[in-house]
Amino acid sequence: MSDFLIHVASIACIYGMLALSLNLQMGFTGLVNFGLIALFGCGIYGAALAHVMGWPLIAGLAAALVMAGLLGLFFARLGRRLSSDYWGIATLSIAEVIRITVMNESWTGGAQGISGLTLLFGDLRPWDGLARLGLFALALFATYLLCEKLVRSRFGLAMKLMREEPQLARALGHDINGIRARVMLISAAIAAVAGVLYAHYLTFVGPDQLVSADTFLIWSMVIVGGIANNRGVVVGAVLMQFAMAFVPFAKDLLGLPTDFVAAARLILVGGGILLFLLLKPQGLLPERVGAGK
Amino acid sequence: MFQFFSDALLRAADLALIAVALSAVYSLIRFPNVALVQYAVVGAFLAISLQSAGLGLVAAAALSTLAVGALAVLFNLAIFERLLKVESSIALIGSLALSMILSAVFLLVYGPTAYRLQLPVLAPIRLMGVRLTTWQLWTLGLSVVVLALFALLLLRTRLGAEMRAVATNAPLAAATGIETRRVTNIVVFLSGMMAAIGGITLALRGSVSIDMGTNLLLPVFAAAILGGLGNALSAIVGAIVIALAETVITNTNLGPLMGEAVWFLPASYAPVASFAILVLFLLFRPRGLFVSEVTRV
Repeated sequence: MSDFLIHVASIACIYGMLALSLNLQMGFTGLVNFGLIALFGCGIYGAALAHVMGWPLIAGLAAALVMAGLLGLFFARLGRRLSSDYWGIATLSIAEVIRITVMNESWTGGAQGISGLTLLFGDLRPWDGLARLGLFALALFATYLLCEKLVRSRFGLAMKLMREEPQLARALGHDINGIRARVMLISAAIAAVAGVLYAHYLTFVGPDQLVSADTFLIWSMVIVGGIANNRGVVVGAVLMQFAMAFVPFAKDLLGLPTDFVAAARLILVGGGILLFLLLKPQGLLPERVGAGK
Repeated sequence: MFQFFSDALLRAADLALIAVALSAVYSLIRFPNVALVQYAVVGAFLAISLQSAGLGLVAAAALSTLAVGALAVLFNLAIFERLLKVESSIALIGSLALSMILSAVFLLVYGPTAYRLQLPVLAPIRLMGVRLTTWQLWTLGLSVVVLALFALLLLRTRLGAEMRAVATNAPLAAATGIETRRVTNIVVFLSGMMAAIGGITLALRGSVSIDMGTNLLLPVFAAAILGGLGNALSAIVGAIVIALAETVITNTNLGPLMGEAVWFLPASYAPVASFAILVLFLLFRPRGLFVSEVTRV
């Protein structure tokens, strides 16, 4: 049981990083990204690519950051001429194109994916699980500090101004395209690091990890936790991840059919988003308005 | 050659009904309702269930169409009207969430197996060297009739004029005495009906399973955006372009390009065609083929 809890907590840390990444885009800058999973995918496939080529882990991280950065810049470029709802659909489409391509090409391992990546801290058995959890928690904490510092800086004020009044931001001399590109680069880097850690934890990479349903899971974490509150979205990530992990136990306990697991997870994500949007749109921890300390 | 065009035409008819519905709703309430593709699945499943409960084919289809229209209005009143007060992108996220919940309901009620309508077997027809089943012709005819009726409604009736007035300038329309909320809900009702008919025509030609909605989502959006969201009838043109692109990309022999005699792209790449067109359009003509609107920031 404790192994299982360590596992769920480790995954929650990785999703916490993704939720922080989405929060920078959607929460603070108003960028409705439905293709976040593709940036994460750059991370996991960067690690997998390095594994196939026999490169060290650090080269995989570099490849992941480059790929995610390019994709993030492409997303930002698309955003220049699109209003947020069009951009949301465009990013969703690109994520799907990438997933279908990865699934059908042989150099990406196709539908079978790529397995046999090195396990982080694999030689520390039996303490490897705890060591990984420590590393992931550290990565999450570092990401949190970075995000907090960013949103409290002058640049963070510009991000929020762009979210609230884009025309005013432009009139005040802010370079909207520049802000968008920088936010996308930073959040793409966070997603890529999360992806590399994830790949070297599961030791397996495949197109099933690129499905858009996972993007919406991250969305539910941000909405439940509190849009534009960094602490809130981490809480949301932990809550949603644990809720998802305990669905199979509820199934066994109540003796329900296997379809129940998939359905209950869809309802958790969809229902969580809808209930919070309708009843508590500010989320569990609301955005702190004002200059802050 | 004619086989190619009939394939593309049938596909276009499938996409057009839902894309027109999506675009019509967008013109009034300014947010793209993702759940519309799921309404199509509800329509198909409901018709199948009603038929297996003993109703005739026509009665089952008609009843299911009306029920989905009512459901669309219900969701609009309970969810989207409230979310739209916040922001249109919030309503978009809400419609994605509703789609997920509907998927879960399909999974629990119908499970992952595919379902079919009980149809009498009719002899196929040969038309200019193309084999078409009678049901394919029926569904094509039905789609064309429904689209023509909607066009007539939009362009020739008082309600249509009110719809266009609300779409162009809602406060002004309200000031001239048009009940914008009533008009909106009528359009939402019609959009639900059109989505349901779209789902039922798919069920008339093949089987329906719970992932039908997800598979329709991006092609339908591509068609609607290509026509210019909010420009309902030009979504038909968008649907034809997307259907042609999907058919071309999977039916063209790319052998000469690849240095081989015969080389076809795998069929799973068909959706990539529509997404690629969508992304190119969003890059270069984000307002669609026919619209010239002021760029928003």
